[in-house]
Amino acid sequence: MIKAKLKPIAEIREMLAPYEKVLILGCGTCVTISFAGGEKEVGLLASSLRIAEAMNGQAKTFAEATVQRQCEWEFLDEVAEQINRADAVLSLACGIGVQALAERYPDKVILPGVNTTFLGMAVEHGVLVERCRACGDCVLGQTAGICPIARCAKNLLNGPCGGSQEGKCEVNPELDCAWQLIYERLERLGMLDRMNLFQPPKDWSKDYDGGPRKIVREDLRL
Amino acid sequence: MSDKNDGPARGQEPVPPCVAACPAHTDVRGYVNAIARGDFEEAYRIAREPNPLPYVCGKVCAHPCEDECRRGDVDEPIAIAALKRFATERHDLSLGHAPGLTVAEPKEQRVAVIGSGPGGLTAAHDLARLGYQVTVFEANEELGGMLQVGIPPYRLPRETIDLEVAPLKELGIEFVTGQRVEDVDALLNDGYDAVYIGVGSHMGRKLRLPNVELPDVWINTEFLHRVASGEKIDLSGRHVLVLGGGNVAIDCARTAVRLGAVEVSMTCLEGADNMPAHDWEIEEAEDEGVKMYPSRTFKECVLDDDGHIAGMRCVQVDFRGFLPEGGLDMDEFVDTDHVLAADLIIFAIGQGPDLSLLPEDGSIAQTRRRTIEVDPKTMATTKPGVFAGGDAVTGVGFIIDAIGAAHTAARSIDAYLQGLDPAALQPPDPVKLGDLQEKTVSHIRPLDREGMPKLAVDQRKATFGEVDLGYSEAQAVRAAQRCLTCGAGATVDTDKCIACLTCVRVCPYEVPLLTRGTAEVVFDQCQACGLCASECPAKAITMTLYTDEDMLRDIKQAVDMAAGNGKPAIVGFACRYCAYAGQEPEVVKATLPENVQTVDVLCSGKVDALYLLKAFEYGADGVFVAGCLDGECHNEKGNVHADQRVGYIKGLLDEIGIGGARLEMFNLSPQQCADMTTAVGTLAATLEELGPSPVRRH
Repeated sequence: MIKAKLKPIAEIREMLAPYEKVLILGCGTCVTISFAGGEKEVGLLASSLRIAEAMNGQAKTFAEATVQRQCEWEFLDEVAEQINRADAVLSLACGIGVQALAERYPDKVILPGVNTTFLGMAVEHGVLVERCRACGDCVLGQTAGICPIARCAKNLLNGPCGGSQEGKCEVNPELDCAWQLIYERLERLGMLDRMNLFQPPKDWSKDYDGGPRKIVREDLRL
Repeated sequence: MSDKNDGPARGQEPVPPCVAACPAHTDVRGYVNAIARGDFEEAYRIAREPNPLPYVCGKVCAHPCEDECRRGDVDEPIAIAALKRFATERHDLSLGHAPGLTVAEPKEQRVAVIGSGPGGLTAAHDLARLGYQVTVFEANEELGGMLQVGIPPYRLPRETIDLEVAPLKELGIEFVTGQRVEDVDALLNDGYDAVYIGVGSHMGRKLRLPNVELPDVWINTEFLHRVASGEKIDLSGRHVLVLGGGNVAIDCARTAVRLGAVEVSMTCLEGADNMPAHDWEIEEAEDEGVKMYPSRTFKECVLDDDGHIAGMRCVQVDFRGFLPEGGLDMDEFVDTDHVLAADLIIFAIGQGPDLSLLPEDGSIAQTRRRTIEVDPKTMATTKPGVFAGGDAVTGVGFIIDAIGAAHTAARSIDAYLQGLDPAALQPPDPVKLGDLQEKTVSHIRPLDREGMPKLAVDQRKATFGEVDLGYSEAQAVRAAQRCLTCGAGATVDTDKCIACLTCVRVCPYEVPLLTRGTAEVVFDQCQACGLCASECPAKAITMTLYTDEDMLRDIKQAVDMAAGNGKPAIVGFACRYCAYAGQEPEVVKATLPENVQTVDVLCSGKVDALYLLKAFEYGADGVFVAGCLDGECHNEKGNVHADQRVGYIKGLLDEIGIGGARLEMFNLSPQQCADMTTAVGTLAATLEELGPSPVRRH
């Protein structure tokens, strides 16, 4: 899922400085699961901002709402009235939700409250890690189910590099070397010979480098 | 709510085993939890609502609820009866006997209630509340039936009965004492529209054995009645033998002790392990020196040379019970003939009702056991308009059984007087929660049951002073905190749940599951620790007994009370398991200055991060959370979560600029009461340095 992290309060306050009536709008899906933008976080941020503004004698108001998914216009329409009443909407959704809001409410100031960070999962409660770069050309079939694009700092397809030290990455010694993990898993599967297969250069045009991507299912279009 | 997850919370909600086991279905969980929270008046209100005799039941109820208590699977049941007693003792009578009790518009129909025992008083109470004109007829001069003339005052002081009767008089019930009803039909002919018979079982009996007609062979009910009526019976120097092994036999034996008997013994058919009396009654009797001779059958009262009673000739037996037709299923052991010496023998082998008031035409049918025959669903006798319950129907039973039967009968009478089928207004039988799963039990922290303070044995033997002295506030709170609040834990709004698994991961009791795509906090198993509700990022989980709204209201009130006296306004979230160190919370709170106000929680794990921020938002200068020491949390790790949340919010407060130093977590041992006061003092000093909260300045 999409993982996000709350922006620093100071940055949020600076963004909100010109506005009196702010709607803090949470999203009930990915960012809720990543403890960044669900109903609970909306409440905590709203209370924090009220405290901060009250400290300075400001009379700002912070309304709170959370929709099921900000990346769908239909859900956004459920809170249209609250959005219209606000001077600005602080979205705690991922960048997709923020942009969906901006598209649906073209006359409204829409601001991001979280930094959309990566596609990942929880490896333990409260610890979220990146697992996918959405590169558009999945190689997990060749790499024993461990992604060298998302998990190798150098995105190597024919790793490991010389910087792999005792299973750790030279870029950050807290990171596991993805290619060490791939090696160990291939060994466990009895497929170590895969290490000898040469991976040709990746077609990066399927990644961000080819510009914004689009998927069209003609069979589904209305 | 969607219908994705239509678990047991839908339709007829299962009730905790204690509530199901109580014949009056008292909301035991509700009042025990209220005591645990320190809301003693609420506890009284809940305990009083379905039971017009809470003072009596708190002292002498046989408490079938405790037998079913699921805490018993972990260690020992909750001391439910003792807690009910505490709630009644703490009730402020200036608020009225039964605050908030509703009474319907008066109706013209008249109901006669025969007998003022627990059943009669309950039926009268219920019917009076429904607006009927109720007259209670009592053969004795004093109200209370067996409560008055049976139960000895060392178990039930007579002032306790007065406390129960007072509000009934306020309800406008007419009490006619000293008037035995001789004829039920006469009441109907006198214009009563319905009759409730609750005459109890006041007729003790003897066995047909040689010499039982001698003056030193007594009957239980007559003996207890004489004592209760104030007759001065001097048993000094006497050797008393009570025949029977039930609770009434114990009452006789312990009464004889108090009347000066030099030796008191009991003998009965049943073996030592299955005497009908409650274990705790047997134990208390033995403490007072009563000797037990179980597994014996009685042959004759033996006489001395002067023709006086010298004892009971007995034979040892293997008694297996009573046969359906009334005989005894037992074997006598050969060559075990012996005499239990005594100069006074008291028969306490059971008792039955005096049914001479029933019509001779048999229109009110009797059972083979010479009790009144009723439809158990409605308590209707075979005569329309006449209902009956309690010991007159069941033989000797428990007070709470009589109360339960009277509730049923009152509903039937109400239906009957409205021209409905008597069964029409009866609620369905409650559905009981299931058993606790083993893995959940394994996570529940064992806690010792609070012992009941008792009068010293020496003092007991010399007087009829009450033996049980009742819990102190600290004891009651500790005793109530052992409650597992079965079935009143967390509930999931399945429309908001996004199956993020947080509840599954944080629950210390392994309770939540994923069912049909959403989380389910299994109703039967939840221990109400509140961790899932505080951690849920979707705010999809709420607590049944103390919601976010309740909490925010209390926080606001605490801030308002702490502020405005020139000192830093400090609000503390105090875990009741540790913060008061087993002392009386109100006493500890009184030692805190008025600028420090506490909001009590059952486990610091319930303190949502939002509550901390809200306290500052409402204007607090400082906030603390008092939780247990590491490893000592009632809910395994609620205090660890609380500590982490405090750390997170401190960071936010620093970011905001108000200062994380205004928020502290104290980890306290239940043995270190003074620590909270000391820790609060340190926080107060920090706040003096930081100055008032900028929020409040504005």
